[in-house]
Amino acid sequence: MTTMMDRSASAPGQAAGKRPLIERLNIVTALVLGTVSAVVVWQLALRFLPETPETSLFFNREDKISLLSLIGWFVGFMTGIGALIGPFRWALGKDLNHDENMFLAGKDQGIKRYFRYTTDHKVVGIQYLVITIIILFVGGTLAMLIRTNLGHAQGGWIQPQTYNAIVGWHGIIMIVATIIMITGPFGNFIMPIMIGARDMAFPRLNALSFWLIVAAVPPVFISFFTGGITTGWSAYNPLASQAGLGMNGYIAFICIFAISTMVAGANITTTVVKMRAKGMTWNRTPIFIYGVVASVALALPAFPVFFLSQIMSGMDRAFATSFYNTAGGGSGWLYENLFWIMGHPEVYVILIPSVAALMEMAPVFTRRPLFSFNLAVMGIAGISGLSVLVWAHHMYISGWAPLLNAPFMLTTELISIPTGMLFLVLIGTLWRGRLWMTMPTASIYALLWNFMIGGITGIYLSDVPADAFLHGSMYVTAHFHYTLMGAGLTGALASLVFWFPKMTGRMFNKTLSWVSFWLVQIGFNVTFIGMFLVGLAGQPRRVESYAEVFSRGNLITTMGAYTIMAGMLVLLHGVISSWRSGVKAPMNPWQAKTLEWTVPNPVPLENFETLPVVTSDAYGYGKAKS
Amino acid sequence: MSDVQVSNKAKWWKSADVKKTAILWVVITPIIGYVATEVQLRSIGAPASEVMASVKSLMGIFTWAASPVAGLVAALALTSLMGKRHYGDNPPPDADHEIRNSPRAAATWLVVSTLLCLFALITGLVVLQKDSESILDAKAININVTGQQWVWNFDYPESKGVRSEVLYLPVDRPVVFHITSKDVKHSFWVVQMGIKMDANPGYVTETAVTPNKIGVFDVRCAELCGLLHAYMQNKVHVVSQADYDAWLSNRAALEGAA
Repeated sequence: MTTMMDRSASAPGQAAGKRPLIERLNIVTALVLGTVSAVVVWQLALRFLPETPETSLFFNREDKISLLSLIGWFVGFMTGIGALIGPFRWALGKDLNHDENMFLAGKDQGIKRYFRYTTDHKVVGIQYLVITIIILFVGGTLAMLIRTNLGHAQGGWIQPQTYNAIVGWHGIIMIVATIIMITGPFGNFIMPIMIGARDMAFPRLNALSFWLIVAAVPPVFISFFTGGITTGWSAYNPLASQAGLGMNGYIAFICIFAISTMVAGANITTTVVKMRAKGMTWNRTPIFIYGVVASVALALPAFPVFFLSQIMSGMDRAFATSFYNTAGGGSGWLYENLFWIMGHPEVYVILIPSVAALMEMAPVFTRRPLFSFNLAVMGIAGISGLSVLVWAHHMYISGWAPLLNAPFMLTTELISIPTGMLFLVLIGTLWRGRLWMTMPTASIYALLWNFMIGGITGIYLSDVPADAFLHGSMYVTAHFHYTLMGAGLTGALASLVFWFPKMTGRMFNKTLSWVSFWLVQIGFNVTFIGMFLVGLAGQPRRVESYAEVFSRGNLITTMGAYTIMAGMLVLLHGVISSWRSGVKAPMNPWQAKTLEWTVPNPVPLENFETLPVVTSDAYGYGKAKS
Repeated sequence: MSDVQVSNKAKWWKSADVKKTAILWVVITPIIGYVATEVQLRSIGAPASEVMASVKSLMGIFTWAASPVAGLVAALALTSLMGKRHYGDNPPPDADHEIRNSPRAAATWLVVSTLLCLFALITGLVVLQKDSESILDAKAININVTGQQWVWNFDYPESKGVRSEVLYLPVDRPVVFHITSKDVKHSFWVVQMGIKMDANPGYVTETAVTPNKIGVFDVRCAELCGLLHAYMQNKVHVVSQADYDAWLSNRAALEGAA
């Protein structure tokens, strides 16, 4: 029925007086069509897929049915949101006309444009911001469940099965939230204005990358109720092939999310390479842009591998292939390799834009030029280049290739050199600056502190003999929270406060930003220092109960976690209250020199009346000695 | 004050900021080194093998090697915080300089970080080499370790097929573990001996250790392996050679009777 409507209406020359299809599609039609299509596929599959014979070695009918239903959901949702209108027109040899393009850009639609397949990069940026907040909220709630359960030894009140599912769910959605938390909201909203462009290179791909994420989230939520992701976020095989139907939700989620990341990566990279303003040479391009491009460009080789690894995982489940099954000639080590070839660049996908954002803010809040722009670029490039060569340090003790341990130890430890460059840039910019004490300024110091701890503990972990002791313990968990949360999230929260005036037209409440900063940072350090200690004492990660000796450290960690929660709730309150009734922001509240501060609030549809011409870099602060 | 001195083309190390940083650096570095080393090494507890002892000394060395860097960053950060601070809704006036680069600082930083990186690498390689040679010890006891959801089984193939869920080892004799799994991936971790090796279905991996202390220690699974992963742990008893022989013959008799 709905499909019929789609065909007739998207054909050219709609009946006059009727609202064309393109104007009717929004998130509601997407959810309805997605659900209907999933249910239809599910029922059809139930009826027509042959029963597994009792003599069969493999019982995977349910896996086939659930994977098919998830594909049905995906196709239905993307059709319902209107992602297929453009391709459908092209198939007919036509394209959208000017009015339709303006409609897609969200012209004169008020709030409704946020719920549609809107191509305006500013709308997409706000959409990303909201979905990032939602995912962080869910992931944070799950973290609190984990920490509450671990508050006292000998098992908590959560069943082991549920506990494992919560750990897996927390892991994967937090990874996704942190991957998109900078390049999504700020990479989409701020980046094109910062380089002096009117929109992204491929506006429709921009809308596509956002709505793919929306399509990806329900499968992972539903998976919780069909057995859950009980394997941790890494979903190692053969454990994953043994797990319940929830794993299919994980597979669908990763595949859709990987497409979204690849699409966004191609789009952002092209935009930056091709659409910078006249005169914005590479050494006048703001450092934040380098961070965003490095992040999405790293995702370009990483995520196809992730996609592939999950397709193979799904085939092992649904068709009893044996990519990862040793008995059938496969190997779990293959999965580990594919996973970490994605997994290690991925941590820099999260980290680099965050550090780059703080490097962008540092000159603004110290009123002096960025210290050594060249080192900053070299540092980002060095980390990106090395990060694709270090994956097997996650497999030192897997037994896969002991002879490769030494080379991978070398590449891993080399990363400390470009990372050190980023430290020097930040610390050099703080040196003899005139500090304007704001929450983003404090975040620079917090990043230096947290990333120092995260980085140095990373050196112990990169060392093979020390890793043989530390691997798989809570020490590792504390280490990567220090880098991804202590450094990554700190930069993202600072970005939120820094760019809030441009994105919402209102200032972020100063008091709330400071209160949340201190609660989050203190709570964070208490939490994860406690976690380091229990890890060193020998507590494995992902455990639902632990020996009595770890009680004190875990209690400290849980108390710290509650402090973080308080801080994040204050921040959430700050976002909502400042957005609704904050002080109206002037055009350039921070007196910064990048281009996004030269456009009025709210930012007009095409950003610039006349496109800017750039004659210098954005760091011309400070007075020369005469 | 510092500004005056800089503008007078004074030697850079005579600037007040630099002096302040240097003093802070000298004070902070040993504090960081001491606190970080103590806290970490105390949490680890007493080692029960040479391997674990070298892990502990590695971590101590790395911490001390890293503390001047951490100390310098902390000193620079504190100096900048102690400079001119401005609160308020409008920006402060610009800083009184426009330093965009310092080839000397950058070069020093790069050379030092490269040297530290090499140091970490070489230290690690030396220990790694020692650890990997121990697998080749011909006099070692061989023990087959089998992980399965959610227990460890230990077979003593040199002792009439003795099998046990609790690991018994004689003190001061090298042991080589041959590790595999029956179902999913596990990770065999003898906590206080500092060794860990994954148990993969269909493959046998190896690791070796020489326990050097009599006592009861922990074996834990360090890779999420399903429902009861948290409970996949047991004890390892390190006993004297005489006690070990007695235990073996006792087990062998039990197995024979069964």
